[in-house]
Amino acid sequence: MDLATQQRKLLGLFRNADTVCPDDDPYIRCIAQSKHLAEGRRNILLWRVFVLERTCPLTVNLLRRRDLLEETLNDFIARTNIYPFRETQAPAFLDEQCAHSDRMIAVVAQFELALMRVKQGDPRTYVVPWNVEPRAVLNSLARNLPLPDEIQEGAYQILISRDIPRQFQIFSLQEEDGVLT
Amino acid sequence: MAASQNYLDRETSTSVAIGATYEGRDPALLERMLPLVDYVEVTLETISQVNDRGISLSGDIMRELKNIGKEAQIIVHGVSLSIGSHEGWSPTYLRLLDDFLEQVDVAWHSEHLAYTKVDGEHLGIMLAMPKTEEALDMVCERVRAIQERYGIPFLLENTVHVIPDCPSDYSEAGFLNELTDRTGCGLILDAYNLECDAHNHGFDIPAFLDELRHDSVRELHVACGVEHNGILLDVHSQLARNSTVDLAQEVVRRSEGSAQVVVYEFMPEAIPGLGHPAIAEQLRRLRAAFES
Repeated sequence: MDLATQQRKLLGLFRNADTVCPDDDPYIRCIAQSKHLAEGRRNILLWRVFVLERTCPLTVNLLRRRDLLEETLNDFIARTNIYPFRETQAPAFLDEQCAHSDRMIAVVAQFELALMRVKQGDPRTYVVPWNVEPRAVLNSLARNLPLPDEIQEGAYQILISRDIPRQFQIFSLQEEDGVLT
Repeated sequence: MAASQNYLDRETSTSVAIGATYEGRDPALLERMLPLVDYVEVTLETISQVNDRGISLSGDIMRELKNIGKEAQIIVHGVSLSIGSHEGWSPTYLRLLDDFLEQVDVAWHSEHLAYTKVDGEHLGIMLAMPKTEEALDMVCERVRAIQERYGIPFLLENTVHVIPDCPSDYSEAGFLNELTDRTGCGLILDAYNLECDAHNHGFDIPAFLDELRHDSVRELHVACGVEHNGILLDVHSQLARNSTVDLAQEVVRRSEGSAQVVVYEFMPEAIPGLGHPAIAEQLRRLRAAFES
């Protein structure tokens, strides 16, 4: 088996995208059934968890509480061709979570992605609309506290900009003065 | 682009310098480490950022590294060159390396004897090269090209074997001997990777050490990860075990002066769990172990 064939076959096995044929090289057939392949795939997941826990802790924390972290990450790994550069992973991951069907995951990801961008010098101003009061949610995710049993509903916005102290501000759209933080 | 002559003018000695990983954004850690290390190992993939212009070196971290000045020598250790990919290496990594070497003097640079992508698809993990004649010819050609491009010493590291090796033309040590013989490149021996291979695949470390030509070993790595389902994982999240340090000492002894530095590697994500004091203590212990 030449180098290119071996590497392509192993890529397929690690991506869980290749099936093994009886006429495949015995080495490939052996690896396909090896516990090392399963652990290698797990290793890929672990590396992503390590990196994303540091670079986008709020979204990862919420996904974990929803018991969706592993499933979401496995989908992300299977569908995206991400450079092994640590700092490329969070923007790509958050970008995907911004469209999550769980509204709270989506807005937390939108907030975290916007904050990451302005901290890196992005001059734009971002606005993330929320339909619950954001402070309690963000505070519990940032401090790893349980989410409140009841979260106050309402129309809120988070403004994210490098021109704001701490780079973000929460507004209630129902109150006269509106500024919450 | 200037290389330190210290690397080339080394004196034969059984003691070696100490180095540690630093990935930026933690000035308190750097301040604590600098009195304890002679070398700071930087991974370009970790000190890069993404913006509208693509991937580039972080300006903030580059300023931090330039401020290290004479307190320690910088060495660059890449993870994404993918020197072993059949279709070619990563141009993105080389662009970053070009940029880095324009700004910072380094003692040498290094990579893993491995591949991280296939046909442009990223594996998400690093796989070791098969020890075949085809792979050896290809890697040697690329090593020579890198040596010519940068004109400073280039080292390759033994990678952990995530999966068992395929039947090969060379043994592990035989492959490394041939590689260094043909190209003159140096080696990094990662003692923890050897231990992982022994634990996970029954790799015979004493036989490997007996066969390896140690005069190419310039750098050693010590690290530690965790065990999962009976497999020792190469995740650099723990303090180095005594057995790993003992193994590194054995390699230094055999290298008879060619080994210059032992680097303690830990990933940035592990720092909160390890704590700055424990990292500093690890470096003190390494210094004591490798001073005699």
